[in-house]
Amino acid sequence: MQLFFQTLVGGIGFGAVYALVGMGFTIVYRTMGLVNFAHGQIAMIGAFLSATFFLDTKLPFAVAAIMSMAATAVVGLAIEGILRPLEARDFDLMLIGTLGFGVVLEAVATRIWGATGRAVPAPVDRPLQIFGIIIRTYDLVVIGVGAVATVAVWVLLNRTKAGAAMQAVAMDRDAATSVGIRVGRSNAMAFALGAGLAALAGSLAAPLLYVTPSLGSSLGIKGFCAAILGGFGNINGAVIGGLAFGILDGFAAGHFQQYSDTVTFLVFAVAIMVRPTGILGELTVNRA
Amino acid sequence: MRVTTMSRRWLLAVSACTVLVVVAGCSSSKKTSGTTSTPPAAVGSTSAASGGASTASASTASASTAGSSAAPADTSAIKIAVIDAQSGQSSSLGKWEYDGVKLAVDQANAAGGINGRKVELTVFDDQADPTVSTNLARKAVSGGFIAILGPAESADAIAMSPILQQAKIPYITSGQSPAMPKLGDPYLFLNSPTSTTYDTTLANYAVKTANFTHIAMITNNGAYGKGEHDAFTAALKALNVTPVTDQIVTPDQTDFSAALTSIRQKNPDALFIGAEEVESGLIVKQARGLGIKATIIGAAPTSTPIFVQTAGTANAEGAVSSTPYLTNDTNAQTKAFAAAYDAAYGTEPELHGAKAYDGAEIMLQALKTTNGAGGQALDDAIRAVKYQGLVGNFAFDATGVGVHETQIGIIKNGVLTAAS
Amino acid sequence: MTRKAAGLVLLAVLACLLPHQLNIYWIHVADVAVIYGILALGLALTMGAAGQVNLAQVAFFGVGAYASAILTTHGWPFWVAAIVALLAAALVGLLVSIPALRVQSHYLGIVTLGLSLAFTNLVTNTALTGQADGLNSLVVPPLFGLNLSSDLVYYYVEIVALALCLAWAAFVVHTRLGRRFRAMRDDPLAAASIGAEIPYLRITAFVLGAVFGGVAGVLYAGLIRYVSPASFSLSSMFFVLAGFIIGGRFSLLGAVGGAVFLVLLREELSNYEAYAQILYGGLVVVIVVFAPTGLVGIVRSVAKAFKRRTERFSEGRAQVSDEASPTGLSARPYRAVRLSDGGSLAGVADSSAALLIEHVTKRFRGLTALEDVDLLVPAGQIRGIVGPNGSGKTTLFNIISGIYAPTTGTTEVFGFRTTRATSYRLARRGVARTFQNLRLFGRLTVRDNVLVALDQSRTIWAWRYLLWPFGVLRADAVMRQEADALLALYGLLEVADSLPGVLSYGTQRRVEIARAMARRPRILLLDEPAAGLNGQEMHQLAEIVRDVRASGVTVVLIEHNMGLVMSLCDQVTVLASGRVIADNVPEVVAYDEAVIAAYLGESSGDNGPRPAQVNT
Repeated sequence: MQLFFQTLVGGIGFGAVYALVGMGFTIVYRTMGLVNFAHGQIAMIGAFLSATFFLDTKLPFAVAAIMSMAATAVVGLAIEGILRPLEARDFDLMLIGTLGFGVVLEAVATRIWGATGRAVPAPVDRPLQIFGIIIRTYDLVVIGVGAVATVAVWVLLNRTKAGAAMQAVAMDRDAATSVGIRVGRSNAMAFALGAGLAALAGSLAAPLLYVTPSLGSSLGIKGFCAAILGGFGNINGAVIGGLAFGILDGFAAGHFQQYSDTVTFLVFAVAIMVRPTGILGELTVNRA
Repeated sequence: MRVTTMSRRWLLAVSACTVLVVVAGCSSSKKTSGTTSTPPAAVGSTSAASGGASTASASTASASTAGSSAAPADTSAIKIAVIDAQSGQSSSLGKWEYDGVKLAVDQANAAGGINGRKVELTVFDDQADPTVSTNLARKAVSGGFIAILGPAESADAIAMSPILQQAKIPYITSGQSPAMPKLGDPYLFLNSPTSTTYDTTLANYAVKTANFTHIAMITNNGAYGKGEHDAFTAALKALNVTPVTDQIVTPDQTDFSAALTSIRQKNPDALFIGAEEVESGLIVKQARGLGIKATIIGAAPTSTPIFVQTAGTANAEGAVSSTPYLTNDTNAQTKAFAAAYDAAYGTEPELHGAKAYDGAEIMLQALKTTNGAGGQALDDAIRAVKYQGLVGNFAFDATGVGVHETQIGIIKNGVLTAAS
Repeated sequence: MTRKAAGLVLLAVLACLLPHQLNIYWIHVADVAVIYGILALGLALTMGAAGQVNLAQVAFFGVGAYASAILTTHGWPFWVAAIVALLAAALVGLLVSIPALRVQSHYLGIVTLGLSLAFTNLVTNTALTGQADGLNSLVVPPLFGLNLSSDLVYYYVEIVALALCLAWAAFVVHTRLGRRFRAMRDDPLAAASIGAEIPYLRITAFVLGAVFGGVAGVLYAGLIRYVSPASFSLSSMFFVLAGFIIGGRFSLLGAVGGAVFLVLLREELSNYEAYAQILYGGLVVVIVVFAPTGLVGIVRSVAKAFKRRTERFSEGRAQVSDEASPTGLSARPYRAVRLSDGGSLAGVADSSAALLIEHVTKRFRGLTALEDVDLLVPAGQIRGIVGPNGSGKTTLFNIISGIYAPTTGTTEVFGFRTTRATSYRLARRGVARTFQNLRLFGRLTVRDNVLVALDQSRTIWAWRYLLWPFGVLRADAVMRQEADALLALYGLLEVADSLPGVLSYGTQRRVEIARAMARRPRILLLDEPAAGLNGQEMHQLAEIVRDVRASGVTVVLIEHNMGLVMSLCDQVTVLASGRVIADNVPEVVAYDEAVIAAYLGESSGDNGPRPAQVNT
């Protein structure tokens, strides 16, 4: 019982992280038609920034995370400019191009922050005891923040003008232009939003794992799996897929210990073969 | 189609050939890179330059004759390679190693070098990857290096063994896996006790002194971790103790909740960690986060500042470490070393820097004996060295182990102090 | 041919002379470079030729190396272990290909990447593979007394292996299997419609890539004599991928060259690992954005520009075509062949229904594209399908040619039930088609487009590649002759070596028809063949269609050009909003009220007397 609940909570905790990565990735895809495989490295940069603000400048964890999100969003704007030409390429080339860019980001991070990495202590340390079951408090924090972020994104996309503009561009770029939406600016905002979500994911993941340049790779791949599992291009799908993947990963680790990656990715491969469009179905983007 | 494909392919073939020619042309200069710095005493070395593939054997020949011939006065540098992780997760380890070695070498050079010849250090990054280190071993052989200090990762040291053995290049490593002395490589030396020593001391302390009764184990399945696992289990067995659980993780794992949950369920009073510095720190951090209150016990990694940093000072409090180098204030020798280290690098040294310094000092002493020659003579000279070092009294046995005992330290307020 | 051979011989000679310039360290680097070259060659086959995203190539590399290491550690003779290692790699390739049957593109990328991670995880934890530290002190491969522990000798062994691998890869790519791969890469839908068995091709592509990876792995185990998980990590995968892309993803030599180049680069920058990564990662981005065909592509463009300046562009221009079309090369005007003296059923053995469609309904979620459609096309007829836009004509074709399965209803072709048959199975049953938006294989020449269609063999025929290559070459030569005959018939011989993209629209349409006819079909479906054609081209189209029917092929065509339909078709079926609203001879249908209403709206006046109906 204890084991089950703890694994479940831990799995949902990581799931929230993957969901945030997946959401950012999906927003970028839906608005810009860009499949960005360097998204995980953006999360890694967010994690490093947050760690630097938290550990070096001694800011409170939440403030450090928010500042990291803002800084990464700005960095994201610069990155968007570099990746824009890739949007015109077919998916295979986009995949390879963004993978290459991810390698560059990882190497740049190594130059800036070194390869050893940083351990980030969790802002809340003591475990909670609920009905005799010991839960890591920080897991609940991650889940809570993830939920709030998801709601905030939903509100932004569905209740604000900027969000409506993003959705319009996603549906039909030309029609959006013809009603006066500045597509370029909207896209930049969408990318910044995606980058911010990635940074949040990285910041939250930092105390759970270890911040190194290779963190991006693992967060990225799992985030993409999450997005595909939930339904590629579907923002709700990214959330569902993230949670599903996190729980899968957690239980695989619980039952198969060190073989968790083997099991997780095999199950994922089978799941995608059974239902290629994912849990909630994919929403492809019309790229004229 | 025929015509255009032909001309395309023709152009392509020509370009490829051009590239190859250019590469071949540039590479011919690489062939000669080894010659300038081989010990000049032996006549054989200069003729080695002409046959590319035979450079290795020629330098061997030159090395072995070097000691015996009455060499004319020579001022060329003695080349020693430092092979260590300069990138990747173990890079801080590699940096400490290099710093420790460099301090010793700089001090020796300042005092006149080896009979008038300067010692030249070149550092190579093996990325803690055994296959890269085999590559670097070959590079060292062809680059005219007569000795190697490092690597720190036992797996890398083992990988390099066949190549260095064949080329008769002695190397003093900082790893501690018992698999290394088992190799039976006469050119391999350890500047540290093996895991067996560390863990026997630790087990004795844990069971007899600290009276722990429920000891849990978590180790990784890398060369170091496996060595620790086997040594500690054996040491416990000799004391008729069985660990309550034995969890295995991988060297680059960063999330240990599954293993730690199993450990917590067994309610241990001591948790033995057999993993490298950073991983050990992460394990402790996450263990405390899950409410595991057991005392942390471990070997060398748990004595380092980076362990404390990674785990968090509060979490590392009370951790027990079996280590040959407790503090910088242990005696006059360590104090002098720490002062020199601080002056050179602006930080305090720790175990790894001290080990590396000892290894370098031994190497320098042996070189003085052979008058700068390498090969079998250097190897014998190293083995013959009796040295009172920072980490212990060195007396190398046939398997290459020099130090055979460690002490127990406990972390208090983030600093390692001797156990009372 | 001789110039190319001379170039390759020169390359080979240089490769053999190279090691005498290098010291032991750089020979070792060269050895590693050749191994990565062979690994990249596998990628060139799977990704470059067959278009299958394969981010598990490094796992195949690992399987080969580990299998060889494990077996030799257990006392197996090296070369026997090597064969078993290759079989193991092939088997793993087969397993990894299974997801490729369901998903493609970036999905497949993530799945194969995940499987790569699964592999690394597996070998890091299994005792058999030595766990995190791997297996060391592996045996030196024995080879007729040669000392293979010498990297120099090993270099020559590797060069021979590379040459054999390159030769065999080139053999595959330039003959029928490779053409099918490339067709599948360029347009899987069209490839299936001319008989390429897509699932088997995907499996074969992965197996081939895996075997090359296995060869690289075996050589690696014999060279380094130490295998550990670190060598088969994700960063190694990106590294090989980068080499493949930078060199040129559509070129075998490019893939090898790119990988070799990166290995050398990495060695030069070995103490500056991070900068090396920025460099090759950045190169990948630059190449993808500015020169997606890689360095080889750049060399080729330069060569082409050079050629254009020195030679006048004579291909196709010196010909008779009086429409020196500004939009591209044109084919020779079509000369009607008329194999027999007309008669709509000449040359047809049986008079059974070529095509029988009964009560076919097709729904896409909420949209009903076709509703209870019946269609019977007798053998040897030229049938027209017309209707306003959105009436379901192309959907009907897609159902007939196997791209969709109907929601309800059945289809039969010459008596064979084909309701749920796949495109390629229908192609085997004699159904050929052209597409509304022209689906030619863009990176294949006109001749190759036709050659792919001419190939009637099943994928399993490819066993000959391994065991009887001469048979493959001989069969290819025979096919070439047939192709040339067909191209001559359609007036396309002069443009046979061009890529479709440089041809005029009308000529491209003709190529598509020629390609469809290369199947020797029994039914030809033409989807808006006259779209975009001018008057003369349309006239030639009509000639072509009549000749096709005269040779015994039933023709069904979707068209908007009423003049063409009236003059060409024996019978016309009219669709509107997914239903058949008229089905009769052209003259009757043209005056049918429902038809006029569907096209022009309700308020069109009387159009004069109607001729007598003809019962069909």
